[in-house]
This record gives sequence, C-alpha cells and structure tokens, in this order.
Amino acid sequence: MSTDYQPWVKDDQREVTRLCAQTGLMLLQHSAESALAESVARRLGLALRMDSVEIALMANGITVTTIRDGRCHTTVRRNIDRGINMHVVTEVQRTMLLTEEKKLGLAEVARRLDEIKPFRYPRWLVSVMVGLSCAAFARLGLLARGADADLGTFVLTFVASGVAMQVRQWLAHLHFNPLLNFATAAFVATSIAAQGVIHGWVDSPKVAMSACVLLFVPGFPLINAVSDMVKGYINTGISRGVMAVLLLLACCGGIVFAMTVWNAWTWL
Amino acid sequence: MERLDLVMNMLLSLLQDFGLAAVPAVGFAMIFNVPKPALKYCAVAGAIGHALRFSLYKIGPLPIEWATLIAASVISMIGIYWAQKWRAHPKVFTVAAIIPMIPGVYSFTALLALVEIERKGFTPELLRTAFDNGFKAVFIVAALALGLALPGMLFYRRRPVV
Repeated sequence: MSTDYQPWVKDDQREVTRLCAQTGLMLLQHSAESALAESVARRLGLALRMDSVEIALMANGITVTTIRDGRCHTTVRRNIDRGINMHVVTEVQRTMLLTEEKKLGLAEVARRLDEIKPFRYPRWLVSVMVGLSCAAFARLGLLARGADADLGTFVLTFVASGVAMQVRQWLAHLHFNPLLNFATAAFVATSIAAQGVIHGWVDSPKVAMSACVLLFVPGFPLINAVSDMVKGYINTGISRGVMAVLLLLACCGGIVFAMTVWNAWTWL
Repeated sequence: MERLDLVMNMLLSLLQDFGLAAVPAVGFAMIFNVPKPALKYCAVAGAIGHALRFSLYKIGPLPIEWATLIAASVISMIGIYWAQKWRAHPKVFTVAAIIPMIPGVYSFTALLALVEIERKGFTPELLRTAFDNGFKAVFIVAALALGLALPGMLFYRRRPVV
C-alpha cells in the first residue's frame, strides 16, 4: 500500500513547491513588498497541506522549501522585474485566500495562477490622467505659496507631463532599460516646459518645470524599500532603495541635459 | 468680520487641496494598474490624507514630517478597513493614496543642487540647498512608510491583515 501512496505524495509535494515559488515570484515581479510575497507563498503552501514552508528572498530571486513528513523539496526561481501591477497582486492574494477557505484544490490553484493576465489601462488614458495629475501638483505648488491659479502653468504642465508619460510608456513597451527610459522621458518633459520659460508663456515657469517631472518620482519603490527594511527584509529593501535613487538620478541627468540644451536654468 | 474672512479662506484652500490631491492619487493608481473598482477608494484616501496633512501643518502647528506621519497612518487605517472588506492587501489602496504626499520637488532639488556643485564649483549655499531638501525628502519618505506600517505593527502584530 505504501508503494502506491508514496509516489503520489512526492509528485503532489513537488507541484505544491512549484506553486509556492510561482506565487512568490509573481508577487515580487509585480512589486509587492517582501513581507507580502513571503506570507502569501507560505500560507498557500500550508493551505495545500504542507507541514512547513520556508522562503528566502533575495534581491533578484526566490528560494522555496516545502517540508512534509520529513521530506524536503527546494526550488529556486530568478526574479525579473515586470513593472508595478496591483491587479496581479490582488488576484494572486485572492487565489491564496480561496485556497485557505478550502474552495480550491491543487489543480484549480495551478489553473487560476496561469490564467492571471496582467491588466493594463489604455496608454492614452494613463497619459491624460498623469498629465492632469502633474497639473494638479503644479496647482498645489502654487497653493502652498499662496499664489493665484494660473491657467498657462496648468496647461503647460499638462502637455509636458502627458507627452513625457506617453514617451515613457512607449519606451517601456520597447523594453528599454528603465534608467535610459526615465532619463529620455525627463529630457522630453523638461524640454517642453522650457519652451514656456523661453517664450514667456507662463507666469510661474519654475513651478511648471518642477511639476512636470513629478511623474518620474519612484514612489512605489521608495515606500517598498523603507517598509521592507522596517519589517526586517534589509537586503531586498536596500536593493529597491538603491534602484529608486538610481532612477531619480537618471531623471536628474535628463533634466540637466534639457536645461543645458535650452539654456533655461530656472530650477535653482 | 475679518476673522470670518480668514476662516472662509482657509476652508476654501482646504477644499481645493482635498479636490486637487484626488487627481494624482487616481493618476498614479493607474500607473500601478490598480483594479478599476478600487480607483475610487484611492481617490478618497488620497484626498483625505493630503487635506489632513495640509490642515495639520499649514493651519495647525505641526512640522511637516509629523503631519505626514499622522496622515499616512490614518490612510493606512482606512486602507486596512477597506482591505478586509475587499479581500486585497491594503497597499493596493494606500500607496496610490500617499503619492500626493511624496516629496518629489524636494528630492529633485537636492539632486540638482549636487549637479550644480559639480558644474559651477562648491558654494555653501548650494550645499545648504542640497542638504536642506535632501533631509526633508528622506524624513518625509520615512514618515510615509512608517505611517503606513504603524497600524499593522500596533494592532496586527503577528496576524496577517487579510
């Protein structure tokens, strides 16, 4: 009897190990924080009847070991960044929650995870909304100084950041390196805003110049970096923080290059 | 009468702040591909957080870092409530909601001042600009991340939120 039983358990455990690795990897790839990736992968494994699930996260990889009846299975996956996608994070977490409630078995979990297709908003819509966002930032900046609303600044910021966002999404679609992408798009944004300064279209060019590049502030990596480190994942936190600072520096390079080309040094 | 005018002015700028902060919260939520039904939560939380910070440090007496910490932890508590109703991690709502409070202008000004030092040579004013803005940015980001983590650390010590 035991000869019938054991090969089945072995394959079963291998499948669970694979699913845990896939879950953790999907969360890491779409910029979930380390604590979430680890806890979701562990809870999925425990819900699929493992005795324990051990996970080690690295800056660009994940190691999963499942233990059942004293047998260990270990697997390693390499992590490639796929961009921030909260839709994937939500779907993966819901799969885990359904498994914990015993509504999904091994095969359904595997199918559900494979069926998750990253949802993306249409590119033009994102560009318009991000343009409006940066224009709102410009207005907030004016408000903080107690200055009056200025339609020219609003429109200039909207156009500059909307076009820059379109460039950023296009370059990301062509799989350019993110640092190169951010530098180029920041150059485009500052160049458009600089026209307003050169031709004197707006009353407060400084606000337009600073607001139109706010779409490049890597807010998610910065927050993830600090919260990883607060929760004890120092190494993933450091690597995310360094990446965020590098992105900021790349943008800075684009801004300085544009200001040199157009000779518009209004920022400082 | 003048007093009433002042109060009305403040209310008006608070209301403007509330409305304006909702826009970047939604815009950035779309960059993060937050699912459609959750976008309105991001907008509301972003507006509440930014307006709360505005009233704490512009109208109230707090320095900006402490105001940010309080606003971020309030957003986080709202986020946890929604997360449990909606079966998703609170970060899905909260990170987009704190985006309007991210110190973008401070961080860019600090880095540009460093570039200027390289370009024009050292002056104490430029170094001062770099340090003032850089530290502001670092402390505000730390306050945001800590504020987001605070309710979890205080009330859900070893339990998962969702």
